[in-house]
Amino acid sequence: MLEATIRVTNTLGLHARAAARLVRLAATFSSGVNLRRNDTHAEANAKDILSVLSIAAGRGVELQVIVNGVDEKDAIQQITKLFTNNFGEE
Amino acid sequence: MQHRVTAIYRNNIAMSDKKRIGGVIISHGQLANELVAAAEAVVGDLDHIRAVSIGWHDDVEMAKAEIEQAIKEVSQGIGVLLLTDMFGGTPTNIAAMFLDNNDVEIVTGVNLPMVIKVASTMRETTLHDLAKDVEEQGKEAICRATTLLVPQKLKKDA
Repeated sequence: MLEATIRVTNTLGLHARAAARLVRLAATFSSGVNLRRNDTHAEANAKDILSVLSIAAGRGVELQVIVNGVDEKDAIQQITKLFTNNFGEE
Repeated sequence: MQHRVTAIYRNNIAMSDKKRIGGVIISHGQLANELVAAAEAVVGDLDHIRAVSIGWHDDVEMAKAEIEQAIKEVSQGIGVLLLTDMFGGTPTNIAAMFLDNNDVEIVTGVNLPMVIKVASTMRETTLHDLAKDVEEQGKEAICRATTLLVPQKLKKDA
């Protein structure tokens, strides 16, 4: 299991389209991918868009990305990159 | 990067092999079209979902034929879920005419999360279970946003 701490930095936060990009990326890995808000401890399955939206992670929210499985190293790298690239947004 | 592209490609192949439960969204006015358009903007192309918008003055037989055609188009042989706008309304009443067909279930009170649920369910499931999940999802998606400020009320893993 690997964990990384990331912060949502894009203007709109983890909104529907950003969440959809995250879900599409997470679904390419066999590892389980979960997100946990560090403030409320609300958790989400990063492969389920409605679950991701339910934690309502706006700009500035700090999240733990928790990845568990055979391709976890690759998964955590690429998912972290997606967040640091602001989902290709502003 | 190469690895990721390959992984997406494999994933798409795996998805295309699997049969999916179809969805038909049925509403008064243009609501159904717009719900499907919004879900598409989020999830991507939805080949297994159709919208039937029933005009306020449309003929019942014509609307019924439109729904029948939509069911045929999305059916992959494992069932079709009809999501209607309002229990007791004409779209629901017309949709109910298809209930004697065992491959059809109806969930009323459609909202965007319900359409996204049908759109994004990839795992193998039965029509009955998906209908229950979608009903539950629709209810869960309705909340007073202020309650989100109370951490313990957040659902852990939807």
